[in-house]
Amino acid sequence: MSLSRREALAIAAGGAALAASGGCRKILRPIDGDGLPVSLALPTLNSSANMRLLNRAGFGPRPGDLALLEQKGRDSWIEEQLKGDLKEPLHLEFEVNQMDVFHLDAQDLEDASMEEVIEQLQQAQLLTAVYSRNQLRQRMVEFWTNHFNIYSKKLDSSFRLGSDSWSVIRKHSLGNFGDMLRASAKSPAMLGYLDNDVNKKGVANENYARELMELHTLGVDGGYTQKDIQEVARCFTGWTIENRFLRPRNTARFDPEIHDDGSKLVLGKRIPAGLGEKDAEIVLEVLLKHPSTPKFLARKLAKYFLGTRNKQVEEEVVLAYNASNGSIPEMLRPILDPNALSKSPPILKRPFDFVVSSLRAIDADTLAGAELLNQLRQMGQPGYEWPMPDGYPVDTDSWTGSLLARWNFATRLSENAFGDTQPRLAILKERFDGAEIDLMTSLFFGVASNHESVKQIQPILKRKLSRNQEKRLIEAASLCICAPEFQWR
Amino acid sequence: MSDSYSCKSYREASLRRGVSRRDLIRLGALGMVGWVAARQTALSQVAIQNGQSTTENVLVVLFLRGGMDGLNAVVPYADEEYYRLRPSLGIGAPISKTAIADRALDLDGFFGFHPVLKPMKPLFEDRKLAVVHAIGSGDQTRSHFEAMNVMERGLASDTRGSMGGWLARYLKSTESASDSPMRAVALTSVLPDSLLGATHAVNFSNLNEYQLDAPLDVRSDLAQMYSKGNDAVSLAGMDTLHVLRKLERLDPQSYKPNGIAAYPDTELGNGFKQVAMLIKNNVGLEVACLDRGGWDTHVAQGAGTGLLASQLDDVAKSMAAFAGDMGSEMSQVTVIAMTEFGRRASENTGLGTDHGRGSCMFLLGGGVKGGKIYGNWPGLKEDQLEGPGDLRVTTDYRDVLSEVLLKRMSLIDQRDIFPGHKDSHVGLIS
Repeated sequence: MSLSRREALAIAAGGAALAASGGCRKILRPIDGDGLPVSLALPTLNSSANMRLLNRAGFGPRPGDLALLEQKGRDSWIEEQLKGDLKEPLHLEFEVNQMDVFHLDAQDLEDASMEEVIEQLQQAQLLTAVYSRNQLRQRMVEFWTNHFNIYSKKLDSSFRLGSDSWSVIRKHSLGNFGDMLRASAKSPAMLGYLDNDVNKKGVANENYARELMELHTLGVDGGYTQKDIQEVARCFTGWTIENRFLRPRNTARFDPEIHDDGSKLVLGKRIPAGLGEKDAEIVLEVLLKHPSTPKFLARKLAKYFLGTRNKQVEEEVVLAYNASNGSIPEMLRPILDPNALSKSPPILKRPFDFVVSSLRAIDADTLAGAELLNQLRQMGQPGYEWPMPDGYPVDTDSWTGSLLARWNFATRLSENAFGDTQPRLAILKERFDGAEIDLMTSLFFGVASNHESVKQIQPILKRKLSRNQEKRLIEAASLCICAPEFQWR
Repeated sequence: MSDSYSCKSYREASLRRGVSRRDLIRLGALGMVGWVAARQTALSQVAIQNGQSTTENVLVVLFLRGGMDGLNAVVPYADEEYYRLRPSLGIGAPISKTAIADRALDLDGFFGFHPVLKPMKPLFEDRKLAVVHAIGSGDQTRSHFEAMNVMERGLASDTRGSMGGWLARYLKSTESASDSPMRAVALTSVLPDSLLGATHAVNFSNLNEYQLDAPLDVRSDLAQMYSKGNDAVSLAGMDTLHVLRKLERLDPQSYKPNGIAAYPDTELGNGFKQVAMLIKNNVGLEVACLDRGGWDTHVAQGAGTGLLASQLDDVAKSMAAFAGDMGSEMSQVTVIAMTEFGRRASENTGLGTDHGRGSCMFLLGGGVKGGKIYGNWPGLKEDQLEGPGDLRVTTDYRDVLSEVLLKRMSLIDQRDIFPGHKDSHVGLIS
């Protein structure tokens, strides 16, 4: 059996570490399919509820994940995911964490083209979602990336997005909401995207102030007025992006010269004159303490994880926010309650979700190159390319038009059209002790082939698999990816 | 193809029957006297089209997302307050000392087009194009999303208890068993909210890419899997397969537009071109949606040239090319270009404009009594503006939309589409 690219990279990375540490460790074995069990069992009766957990808290199971979850138990699995600090596979660290977009200053990146930078950002996004063991963290990265949406093609945004996605979104995705909000407010990418970099005293620019309250904290019916927007905009005057000669460009800077230092009244709180850069901090604290903020977040989280509002869960999320001073894991606990999850309606996978869950199901070996990324564009959800600050829509109807592109993706996958993306069905078959048809239904639907939920697709799969063709496994996988059932989670 | 989705091909077959239930509903509204005449018209049109049903008019809705600055698009140059509010961004009067590139094109002695709207000027002069100024919704949040939600759902101001889109409701209220799977098409990467909840609405950004790159047996597998369910995905899957089959007969790449004006090579230009092709090919299109973003000009929006100018340029060239391409068939097509709100009357320190209230709307084509600026001008004096200094809304956008649906499309009762809206019209459709 030849080494997959991932295994080879893992060895290379391990080897480099070995060399660096003076060779005091034993020879590193190729990681065994990144934790892929030596044998794969058929999912058990419980698997539907567990499948849902993996689909909601993460991007769907990789082979073996259901068994692992069952072994570990639901509660400890959730605790582990809420911490989100499992060691990541070496190849992921190797490929993603060392990407230029995360390490070069925006200034140095400007030598590259905007397209190259965006491609790398999207690549990192996809690879991390596919391979990360901290699946809930990646779910939250997706959630917050949309919550604090930034359009990569507006002006210089793309060059600043690497640092935003690293030190605002990823860093705080399972941390404290206040920390994330404060980091976002001073993120050059956000300052540029919502025009705060040109917000000066005189007639202030309201763009950031408005979205800060409407989309980031209070929600549109959260109780602020047009006057509040104008006052918040005044508080944020002077927060701009460094562009002076010989200074580190693309960092946040407060310029007192253009700050409106008069007194302000924000949501009933008087901010006295002369506080300078403190104005913005006070505004953020007022917003974080405002009762509308946890309500708004609770509503959004419920919609995202449960597909619908859930009054009781939302109330618990609000209580958790208040009790923990904005801890994100504490807010997630009531959402991931088995009862709430099992009662919630199915959610249509958005294209990103769909592609990631497909690649996870077939344990694909991928570098997420341009061809694969282009599939997401065809489906309408290329990363960081939603122009408006509200992020990609979550409702079902927005995405039913992407079916054709989904089918084309599945077909191309079976025709090996992406070059750098290979399913590892042969290895899976090797380790699997059931019939091929059970392999397929367990990979994609988390159940054995005699389960009620797959009775529609079962005969079609059977026919596909009975053909004596070399490609029948991947063609059957492609069919499963196309199936209506696989579009939901 | 004898696969299982041919069981739904009754839709296609019945398209050739000629008079749809929609026609009958409409005829009912006309009363017995009109019945015979209308039926004859409907039937003769069917005959002309050799079995293809194209008795319907087509509505094309272009949404300008981000809040188009109506004050710089259709300039109230004779309102002297305008120049006080916009010392840097103002578009000069048609006769003034301003450089020619920054001078408005006079329309009626009070308003003038932004100079880059020049390609639309002949359409205005030919009375094919009308403008409604100071138009908008009741939304007071000045939030893009809230304001778009309001408009795309056909509401007055409050989106709570949200319902489907106004076009979806229109399609629903006129639906029949003989509906084409392409009654509504959005040339967008995600379905616009105005079509939320619509059956038989498809979206794609490019017709050329609307192809299934799969062997034939995959197609019948898909049909088998998707024909079973009644959920949103299964229904959308069946629609997708129907549309694929319809589009296979077309050859979008070889489409040659008529007319002298060329479509600009932009997303919008290509969008209009594809709408034209779909209409001419009788795929059963009734509603087409187009989007053009980029109107949120908080910073450096420019005057005669610059950011806003390049946006307007694209719209003007695309709409003019579309009208030229459609030629006499334009009498069956009505285009509405709308935006969620206008912008603050005064410019900000970043030489841009913040979110405001009233903006303008363009109407072009079939039935439009053009060559006129409709609406009551509220004025730009301080006490005439509302809120933080915004152009007041004097025409409810629903007055126009309902008028178009009633007079051009087959809507019977506008209350089905615009709940709580009083039936009042601007009188811009004949």
